[in-house]
Amino acid sequence: MVSLPRRIIKETQRLLQEPVPGISAVPDDSNARYFHVIVTGPDDSPFEGGLFKLELFLPEDYPMSAPKVRFVTKIYHPNIDRLGRICLDILKDKWSPALQIRTVLLSIQALLSAPNPDDPLANDVAELWKVDEAEAIRNAKEWTRRYAMDN
Amino acid sequence: MEQFEQLLTCAICLDRYRNPKLLPCQHSFCMEPCMDGLVDYVRRQVKCPECRAEHRIPYQGVQGYPTNVTLQRFLELHIEITGEMPDPTSGQIMKRCAVCTEKSYCVHCSHCSKDVCPMCKAAHMDILRREIARINNQVRRALHRLEDMFALVEKNMAALQHNCNSVTEEVDEIYRRLIKAAKDRTDFLKTEIDRYLGVEIKNLTTLKDNLQQEISNIQSNCDLADRHMGTEDVEWEDVELLDTKDIFLKTVDFIRNFEAEMGDYTRRVRFTMATDPNQLVLHVSTYGDLNIAMPHQLTGQQQLAPGPGLMRSKSDHRLAAQYRQPDERYGEDSGRVSPLAGRKFGQRYQRRDRDYDYEDEPRPQRSRTRSRFLHGGENTDSDNDTSGPRVRFGADQPKDQRPTALDTEALSKGPLSGISRLYDCPQVIARITEVKKPKPVEEPQPQVQQPKPQPKRTPSLAQRQVSEEDEITKIKRQMKNAPGERGTPDRPGQERVSALRREEVHSPPSSAPESPPPQSPSAQGGSSSESSDESSQQQSPAAGSRKTSVTRQPQQLSRRSSTASDTPSTGGESARKVSTTGAAFTTEQLKQKFQNKIEPKIEVPAPKPFVSRFLRGGVGRPLTTTTTPAPVSATKEEEEEESSSSEETDSSEESSEEQAVATGDKSDIGPLLARSAQARKSSRDETYSPTRSPTTRTPTSYQQDTPTAAAPWRTRTAANNTSTEDEAPASTRYGSTSSGFTSRFLNKSKSAAAVSPDEEDPGTTRRFGSSASSTSNTASQPAGSKSRYAALKDRKARLARSKSSHSLADDDDDEEPMTPSAYLASRYGPGTSLAKSRSSHAIKSRETSPEPSAASSSSGLASSSSTAPGEKDGAALSSWARYLKNKYGSRNKDTMSSNSRRLSLGLPLRSDPEEETKNTQGSPTSPTQHPPFHQGFGVDTSTRSKYLNKRRQVFSLGSRGSETGCFTWPRGVATGPGDIIAVADSSNHRVQVFDSNGIFQKEFGGYGNGEGEFDCLAGVAVNRIGQFIIADRYNHRIQVMDPSGRFLRAFGSQGTADGKFNYPWGVTTDALGFIYVCDKENHRVQVFQSDGTFVGKFGSHGRGVGQLDHPHYIAVSNTNRVLVSDSNNHRVQVFDVNGRHISTIGSEGCEDGQFKFPRFRRSFSLPAGDVASSSNVPLIPPTLESGSGSGRPGVYSGRGQREQSVTDLQPRRSISEGVRLMGLRRGRVQGPRRSSSYLDQLYPRVRPREPPCSSILRDAQSKLDRVTARKSEMEATIPLYRRQFSGPLFLPY
Repeated sequence: MVSLPRRIIKETQRLLQEPVPGISAVPDDSNARYFHVIVTGPDDSPFEGGLFKLELFLPEDYPMSAPKVRFVTKIYHPNIDRLGRICLDILKDKWSPALQIRTVLLSIQALLSAPNPDDPLANDVAELWKVDEAEAIRNAKEWTRRYAMDN
Repeated sequence: MEQFEQLLTCAICLDRYRNPKLLPCQHSFCMEPCMDGLVDYVRRQVKCPECRAEHRIPYQGVQGYPTNVTLQRFLELHIEITGEMPDPTSGQIMKRCAVCTEKSYCVHCSHCSKDVCPMCKAAHMDILRREIARINNQVRRALHRLEDMFALVEKNMAALQHNCNSVTEEVDEIYRRLIKAAKDRTDFLKTEIDRYLGVEIKNLTTLKDNLQQEISNIQSNCDLADRHMGTEDVEWEDVELLDTKDIFLKTVDFIRNFEAEMGDYTRRVRFTMATDPNQLVLHVSTYGDLNIAMPHQLTGQQQLAPGPGLMRSKSDHRLAAQYRQPDERYGEDSGRVSPLAGRKFGQRYQRRDRDYDYEDEPRPQRSRTRSRFLHGGENTDSDNDTSGPRVRFGADQPKDQRPTALDTEALSKGPLSGISRLYDCPQVIARITEVKKPKPVEEPQPQVQQPKPQPKRTPSLAQRQVSEEDEITKIKRQMKNAPGERGTPDRPGQERVSALRREEVHSPPSSAPESPPPQSPSAQGGSSSESSDESSQQQSPAAGSRKTSVTRQPQQLSRRSSTASDTPSTGGESARKVSTTGAAFTTEQLKQKFQNKIEPKIEVPAPKPFVSRFLRGGVGRPLTTTTTPAPVSATKEEEEEESSSSEETDSSEESSEEQAVATGDKSDIGPLLARSAQARKSSRDETYSPTRSPTTRTPTSYQQDTPTAAAPWRTRTAANNTSTEDEAPASTRYGSTSSGFTSRFLNKSKSAAAVSPDEEDPGTTRRFGSSASSTSNTASQPAGSKSRYAALKDRKARLARSKSSHSLADDDDDEEPMTPSAYLASRYGPGTSLAKSRSSHAIKSRETSPEPSAASSSSGLASSSSTAPGEKDGAALSSWARYLKNKYGSRNKDTMSSNSRRLSLGLPLRSDPEEETKNTQGSPTSPTQHPPFHQGFGVDTSTRSKYLNKRRQVFSLGSRGSETGCFTWPRGVATGPGDIIAVADSSNHRVQVFDSNGIFQKEFGGYGNGEGEFDCLAGVAVNRIGQFIIADRYNHRIQVMDPSGRFLRAFGSQGTADGKFNYPWGVTTDALGFIYVCDKENHRVQVFQSDGTFVGKFGSHGRGVGQLDHPHYIAVSNTNRVLVSDSNNHRVQVFDVNGRHISTIGSEGCEDGQFKFPRFRRSFSLPAGDVASSSNVPLIPPTLESGSGSGRPGVYSGRGQREQSVTDLQPRRSISEGVRLMGLRRGRVQGPRRSSSYLDQLYPRVRPREPPCSSILRDAQSKLDRVTARKSEMEATIPLYRRQFSGPLFLPY
């Protein structure tokens, strides 16, 4: 068995001890590299009031490579596809070892409040978002209410 | 602070920066693994994680980036401020693990002898553990073979016994039958003879009767015929005459014919034997032979059984391989010894072969087994190959010999296998105790232990492999790092075994005794061996540069203190022979031997008087010892002698000796200190012989001579004579004194006398005789004195005696030596005795005065009376009295004021002879006069006398162990209210509390870092209200316990900030309750209020004035001087309570007034402040003012006075600190007033004005010290002499 790198341990401890407001990340019981994450929808965004579940996995070479993050809760967002995959640069080429789980999750939270339809992952959503933002926001709110607020 | 922390944290590893490298973008990251991980090897650039700037990697790699020095400074600063320990891996560099090739901080792994990462190491250790477990299983499984063998042997024994019995019976039977046959025949013959005799006798008798009758008849006939026939008186008829004629004719005829038959009656009986009697006797005398069925099949097999059995079993787990080789070797009978073959199994066979002339039968058998083994061995070989590391054994074990952790010479090893018992290994014990949990022995020390089980197979394997395998495989192995530890461990074993074997070969019969019993010897033996082990390990290094004088005394002390266990060991070689304990051959003994050898050398060089004296003392021992029965052995070694002397003293004369010593000590002041000390020693030991006297300077030759001379059962007197003779040049009388000796006391006295000459001028020496005589008298006259003492116990009586002798001496000095006045003696005697015994406190002395005075007076009388003849003889006696006389007498001659002397002696000041005369006139027994004297001199004399007083051992506590009352590395001692003695039992992580009599009262604490738990506590102090203050060393805190041992509070944590500690060591409190802590690794002393509030600190690391380097112990005198044992600066520094430096005592060295790694002996933190350098002569620093104090621990405690002693510990670290006083090594603590044994040691030789010893001596000394390290450990603390004596003294009793 490979022991957990110190960094992961530290991060985990810190996440548990000083959780980021609106974000909770709890490591899985059986796998310390696997986190159950819940992110609250940011205020003043169509996702307000929703509790979005994500899963986060720290790959073997973390922190040299980015964690893998995926929305478990369905969400209507131009940068998040149906499978919950997230289009976020820091999760891809912009990853830096200086980033941490919390920063990643914060970025994701920020992404919720600032959708970027220009760099879409869910093309239909992005299309709608560009064409009729109000409608898209309504959809988003609808989805949030439907998927993210029923506990 | 939070942000500060953050700044020091690497963004990548989120840890404290480790070797931060600065990127051109000004961001810093740890070099490894962080920066390493950033490297894009393809593009050879690094992308800053913070700003994503991309930088080219320098040519040398990321290492080429500049180190962020600023950041590093900050890191250091941070560490300093917060006191957090630097990352253990900070100094290390990541290397590739030789096993998994991962980069990490590698550690050397003994398993594969590579540098491996912790994980691999853990895995390896796990492997080792499992292997051990497995082998253990195998051993367990195979153990039954031994057990079987054991049973078999037992059975064989029984069978043998039975057999012998039956044979005996048979023989008896034969004997009986033979006897019976002989007897029967004899009887028969006898009866036949008797019968024949009877018949013959009867016949003869009848014949005789008949003959008689015939004779008478014929006679009468003849007479008748003469008378009547020839004459014609009677009318005879012719018929009648004719008849008569016929009758006569018949008679004539009868007589003529009679002869023929006589032959019948001359028959004799003759005894003849069928066979030649000689032959018969021969036959009978050799009527039977014992045919001992020798080795041949039956017995042979049985005896062989053990070997093969074991081997076979071992073959299973490759142990067989080993055996195979031994077997082969035996076959070849080559000189080599296989590692384990050296075991006596093999040996036994071998010897058998030789001794009994076995036929070759056993050999074939062996070979058979061997072949089997071979087979097994090969199998195992293949096993090995597959199993990895094992295989490597073979490669080159000879090259790297791994130090085996558990292989201590001193361990008692199994006699057959040379396997040591793990439980005997101090390390193992330590480990186990550390862990506290009762783990299996093997668990705690997987690595270390490994050598044990494995050695068995390893050696054989290795060798076999080497022999069998070709170069290539070898090389391969090497490549694999084969040399590994596996190979190495067996090495020592091998040697051991071979050594054993050699021994056996040389002296087969004696081998048994030498080889220690396989498992724990008797309790005594075990303990002694253990202790010796420890001592040897630890002390030998530590002994360093001590002077012989110091070391010796400690030795004696130790011996005395540890009576039972020591005595066997002390004897050295001879002791071994003599010793019935059967304890293993301990290292100590070896050491002693060694020492003996060395001593002469050492002593030779001693150029200076001081040394010489001490040396002399050492030399003298042999002489005295000759008297003792034990040392009978031809070579009288000093050791033996010492032991014997100690025994003697212990048994009979402890008290007296002590007393004498005490008196000597007390009486002396200033210049006399040295002398008194010597006197003490001499008196005590008897060992001090004059040979080394500075005046005579016959040192080396004498010493060497003495052993030889003494060897052949010399009487004491002879020994004494020799000694005296040696001294003769110096003191004319001296020689004469020796002859007179008859009693032990005399002996001692002689020694004392011997000592005296050195002390003073030759002129004084002549008085020796008188003193000796006095002592002898005292000895001889105990009855008389006793009557007076009635109330007093013997011991006291002895004390009195000795004291009286002292007094006598004084008297003599004062007056003329020629007329020793009993009165004077009596008079002064009490005073002196009081002074001495009571530490000369006026009040106390008064109280006690009646008894001692009476005693002293009586004794004084005795001594005086005795002395008179002695002096007259001039040649006669040497004893205390004389000795003292000499001492003091010389003084008298000196222009020095007698007053001072008297002061030193503890005698009242009497400057004028008149007073003396008065005294003489006064009644000898008048006690009334004494008190005033005491008072008079009390103040001045008291200090020294007190000081001298201190050196006696009062008692000793404990032994090594973890039970209550036992110690493992006791480090600190303190006394407290209620006369308790608190001992910091360091490695048992507890504090033990004893009362002033050394009775265990309670203990508290246990291992841990919780409240009330300790981790190797070092110092202990008891404040005025009885709270215990404990320096919890490895927990970096001070704990305060209430008087019952309950946790009150703790303060401090690891760090360098105020109020934080780095291995706090000594701790003490002052009268105001402030707590002083020696913050050892921070090189400072911190002061706290009793509630733990930081008050101040002083000292910094350095060598300058007021700077400290690893201060160990600390003490506060009641004059508010803070004494700190500045250990690594080899000095004691004195501060005031505010931390201002006042003075420094000592410097590095082993000479008087110098220290080697001084440490306070906080052990007796008693009222008086005493500082001593244990190995060196104590200083009498002018600056030190002592509070009142006197040396008895426990007695004074609780009065708010404290005494501290500083000890100069051995230079090497291994020696236990702190409690040396108490004979740490042995784990015992010496406490107040118990028995004599300890006396001397305590006592340092104080020789203030004498020149320091030469460096040569020092060297020799250091050698000696190394050898005698163990003894030295026992060394007593030397109290610091206080010049002024402010407080009242309390009487010891």
